[in-house]
Amino acid sequence: MMMTHATSSFSDPVLVRYLALGAVLFAIGLVGFMARRNMIMIFLSTEIMFQGVAINLIAFSRYYHNADGQSFVIFLLTVAAAEASLALGLVVMLFRQRQTLNVDAWSDMQG
Amino acid sequence: MCRAAGTYRGKPWKAGRWAWQHGRCFGDVDYIGLRNMDYPLIIATACGAIALYLMMPRGQGWLVKLGTLIGVLALASGLSYLTHWASVEYPAQHAAGPGIFFYAFALITLASAVGVVCHPKPLYSALYFVLMTLAIAGLFVLLMAEFIAVVLIIIYAGAILVTYVFVIMLASPSGVAAAAVDYDRISADPLIAVLVSFLLLGTVLETLFTHTPHGFIAASASGITAHAAHWGGLAALGKNLYSRYTLPLELAGVLMTISLVGAVVIARKNAPHTHMLGLGEMPAE
Repeated sequence: MMMTHATSSFSDPVLVRYLALGAVLFAIGLVGFMARRNMIMIFLSTEIMFQGVAINLIAFSRYYHNADGQSFVIFLLTVAAAEASLALGLVVMLFRQRQTLNVDAWSDMQG
Repeated sequence: MCRAAGTYRGKPWKAGRWAWQHGRCFGDVDYIGLRNMDYPLIIATACGAIALYLMMPRGQGWLVKLGTLIGVLALASGLSYLTHWASVEYPAQHAAGPGIFFYAFALITLASAVGVVCHPKPLYSALYFVLMTLAIAGLFVLLMAEFIAVVLIIIYAGAILVTYVFVIMLASPSGVAAAAVDYDRISADPLIAVLVSFLLLGTVLETLFTHTPHGFIAASASGITAHAAHWGGLAALGKNLYSRYTLPLELAGVLMTISLVGAVVIARKNAPHTHMLGLGEMPAE
């Protein structure tokens, strides 16, 4: 079944706006990832980057009228949940050892 | 033919702009593509970078206010650039914009994302993240992905963020979760972080807005099957997940189980085998 993209109400400029929003979200999350020193905040910033990618996937799914993008967001949410549970477990464990969430406290971890 | 800008005949205060537009400043050969760049877009991105740099936690309130002002400027210039870009590149479809709801949700999303990154107290950052998740769910509804929107609210705002808040409460050094500690009040290397990520963002946006040929996105769709009639809604998504992606879906379930077990093992306190794993115990108080 052929789709005519030009006649769709979801046109190219609208798609580009969504993609730009996703890119900006990704950049903001990247700034937080590199600049924050709290381990919890670093993981929260990666969640922002996840959301930026999810917006891209959903927008392309809408643009192509194809459910694959939404399916990938399901997988993305799965990975995000798994990452959050493991990372927060690690954070709790690390906090028990040094009583701080500062990543600089662990800079002696090398190799 | 490299004319000096001074030979421009006309209003002298426009000579610089004329020289810039005609590329006479750099000769006729445009070595590094300076002439083809989209300067309003670059300026808007740079404004955003400066705003985010000023808003990073530094322990000084007036810088945050200045950064907010520049951030509003960056948003306004980006919006005006978008309008201009759409009217130039897609004159026929210019009227069919994404509508007011997109802009409202996008504004809430961006503002609360900046709040997450820049707020010195982690608990408030987590609450900003909830706000961002709700706004993104609104965007997903606009994109006809209602199920994903609901799932996003349930999983992110309901489950993941509650876990984050729990850990923030548990792992606050003084026991007071809302008090900002040293490593939250002063960020590490905000300049390098902002430079790197906004260089990336500028490159992506520049490519997206200027170097994407018309019809390129649609033309690449030929390899993608479109289910126009049965597209959208939960039924199509479920059918897609359980026909094309059965194995990945099962693997996702396995991944969830593994991470559940892993989280329990890692976060367990004084477990009998933690000595062997080197995971350590809680120091005696």
